[in-house]
Amino acid sequence: MFYHISLEHEILLHPRYFGPQLLDTVKQKLYTEVEGTCTGKYGFVIAVTTIDSIGAGLIQPGQGFVVYPVKYKAIVFRPFKGEVLDAIVTQVNKVGMFAQIGPLSCFISHHSIPADMEYCPNVNPPCYKSKQEDNVIQEEDVIRLKIVGTRVDANGIFAIGTLMDDYLGLVTQ
Amino acid sequence: MADKTMPIFVPSEKPVKLAKWKVKQGALVLQGQTLFLYHDSSGEKDEVKKFKAARAGTISLIKVKEGDIAEPGAPVADLEECRHTTVMKEMCAECGADLRTDDGPKVDVAVVPMVHSIPELKVSEELAQKLGREDAERLLKDRKLVLLVDLDQTLVHTTNDNVAPNLKGVLHFFLRGPGSPGRWCHTRLRPRTQQFLESASKNYELHVCTFGARQYAHAVADLLDPDKKYFSHRILSRDECFDARTKSANLKALFPCGDNMVCIIDDREDVWRHASNLIHVRPYSFFQSTGDINAPPPIDEKLNLPSGKNGSSPANQMPTLDEEIEQKDIIEDKKKEQEKTKEGGNGKIVNKDSELKKAVEKDEESKESEPRWVETSDGQIEVEDPDDYLIYLEDILKRIHKHFYDLYDKMGKKQIPDLKAVIPEVKGKVLAGTSLVFSGLVPTHQRLETSRTYLVARSLGAEITQDFTQKTTHLVAVRAGTAKVHASRRFSEGKGNKLHVVTPDWLWTCAERWERVDERLYPLQRGGQSGSRRPPAHCSSPPPPAAPGPAAALRKRTPSGRFMDTIHPLLSFSSDDIADMDREVEDIFNEEESSSDDQKMGGDDLDDEENPPEDRLISLEAESSQDRLLQDSQDGEGNNDTDSEEQPRPRKRPRKSPPSDEEPPDDDDTSWNLMGAALERELLAQD
Repeated sequence: MFYHISLEHEILLHPRYFGPQLLDTVKQKLYTEVEGTCTGKYGFVIAVTTIDSIGAGLIQPGQGFVVYPVKYKAIVFRPFKGEVLDAIVTQVNKVGMFAQIGPLSCFISHHSIPADMEYCPNVNPPCYKSKQEDNVIQEEDVIRLKIVGTRVDANGIFAIGTLMDDYLGLVTQ
Repeated sequence: MADKTMPIFVPSEKPVKLAKWKVKQGALVLQGQTLFLYHDSSGEKDEVKKFKAARAGTISLIKVKEGDIAEPGAPVADLEECRHTTVMKEMCAECGADLRTDDGPKVDVAVVPMVHSIPELKVSEELAQKLGREDAERLLKDRKLVLLVDLDQTLVHTTNDNVAPNLKGVLHFFLRGPGSPGRWCHTRLRPRTQQFLESASKNYELHVCTFGARQYAHAVADLLDPDKKYFSHRILSRDECFDARTKSANLKALFPCGDNMVCIIDDREDVWRHASNLIHVRPYSFFQSTGDINAPPPIDEKLNLPSGKNGSSPANQMPTLDEEIEQKDIIEDKKKEQEKTKEGGNGKIVNKDSELKKAVEKDEESKESEPRWVETSDGQIEVEDPDDYLIYLEDILKRIHKHFYDLYDKMGKKQIPDLKAVIPEVKGKVLAGTSLVFSGLVPTHQRLETSRTYLVARSLGAEITQDFTQKTTHLVAVRAGTAKVHASRRFSEGKGNKLHVVTPDWLWTCAERWERVDERLYPLQRGGQSGSRRPPAHCSSPPPPAAPGPAAALRKRTPSGRFMDTIHPLLSFSSDDIADMDREVEDIFNEEESSSDDQKMGGDDLDDEENPPEDRLISLEAESSQDRLLQDSQDGEGNNDTDSEEQPRPRKRPRKSPPSDEEPPDDDDTSWNLMGAALERELLAQD
């Protein structure tokens, strides 16, 4: 699920950046340091939308570095159990398949793929195919899956998905 | 782990009417999923309520049909709890349960990492068996086998050294390591690699199995197979290896139903623990200064292997006179080679050092497989690479495949032949029916049956006898002029039919190509020694455990082994020994005239050779002792000095001043007394 939330971040700035462009540098540094990261609590930070305030810089004694507390709003992506998402298949193997939902990787076990779909290793690329051959899932395909579990670490999220529910599976455009 | 089946009870005190099942029998349900709808009549109104699963699992049995009344206390259905047979990052891949926070004794069902490149994904033993069986059935149906392919020095050769950017046929890529600045890799594919993969993939399912890091393995696999049609995702790298030293540990996980259908090609035998389903390929070497950049640490063979099987390569044996002569010849060969490179120094890029090191490493072999570098007019460096090994390997693999499926058809559908037996069988056909006699190949003190040469010939199916018999077809001789070579001439005359007299290279080539090579290509030249007694890399085990120190070996040459004899060895020498020494000295003297400069120049670069210090020691010390012999002969007491030839000590140590002539050499006590007397005299003189 996507959220637009307020977040805070501290920027550590080298004294060489002190000058007329200082605040621009702080903003630039915020974008590079924050976008694309992942925290267990809020999920993936997709994009910073607005920078609300850049607080008073505090010079670190003995170093000359300055710390700016920055408040900003960002769009974050946090997957939840039970959420239904569209994903792109990245790898198909005999145990299951891997899919990517933007920055989030997800694994779907063979057991969570409808039983009528069988693994076909001989075609290139390998795929899961239903008996009537009308339903084929292979690499690069878009599938709709439901998340059944998430592994949330300090710096990453991994999800387990399933295709065993109504309206899940290959998304045909 | 026993099946945890638990009944689902009606969620109220009164009987309820089951309206509709939302799941089928045998279906997988998740925690919180709606199982059925029911009419709850306990309240004022008759309302339809949902019943949700309290746990994840499988509905194994539905006991109450739709529309029936379910009594409280009687189970509605049985729910079999998820057994977490597939686990990804410690999370059940079926029900999504987090297995990391589970308290209590942790029993991991899923232990087998079945997918090559994702070690975090594990499945249970049972499921692995099932998947393995499916794999095997599919392979049999497609009439394929599994081929594990090593990368470094088997299909490619990679270096991190700087190479000329305009080399033809060398691919460059940059690896960015986490935390390291990254490195450039320059990879050369073995000639005919594409054709080889194309042809092998028809009969085999190809897997990469390398000790390179994951990033490197995937990068090289990408070079070999940009469309992913040969390897797909079947790439096993060092990051996924269980053991840093052997690859065989992973076999069980990749092929849970046994490695009956697994064939391996690798240039290292030891990393597979000398598995019999391994085809030991000739190492491919292109960049002359680099070996295998991803070589595993050497295994202490003594710990891991029953002794005898491996430790018997002649190179590791104690030196005998024969071997010294042979080594001298190798040095001579090297010198010749060096001269050659000097003459044809046209497009040579590699400096002398690495060239020499390479020559040392590869001995004779380097002569045939060393690529030649020629600069073309358009600035590209064309490299002539005579390596044609993959042609033979392709053929070997075809033969193995054919033999396997011939057997399979014969045995009937139920049984699967074992490649671990099939491959040695195919190999054993190569020289089947021949009977060999060796001459000069096995050191005299070694038993024929334990020599590496014997084992190589046996594995090819040849029969080996100590002496000529009626059946003898080949004589493999290191040099002409041995007793057996003479005997063979008489023997073949007497017998009437042809007896082939060949050099060991014939045997090595047969072992390399797995075919009986035409004997006429390897005739034994009269006079000259033509052929290495030492098995080449693909016949022997590559990392020779530290050779016994030359010093220790030499010391043994005094029969008594007493310390005293090592000081004055001439006293205990037989006349034969002394004659030998004379001959040696003469040889070196003759040699010196032609190429003493070369030897001096190359001398210090030879450090990497297996046994070099020893023969260098002998030759150099012999040289100097020869000089001194000349000087000393004027004094009429040359004996004192020749001890330096036998005395075990490193060459670089400064030479002690020769003992003065007055000291009688034979007795320790007297010499001490005399020394004391001399000291006394000196002191007195000072006063």
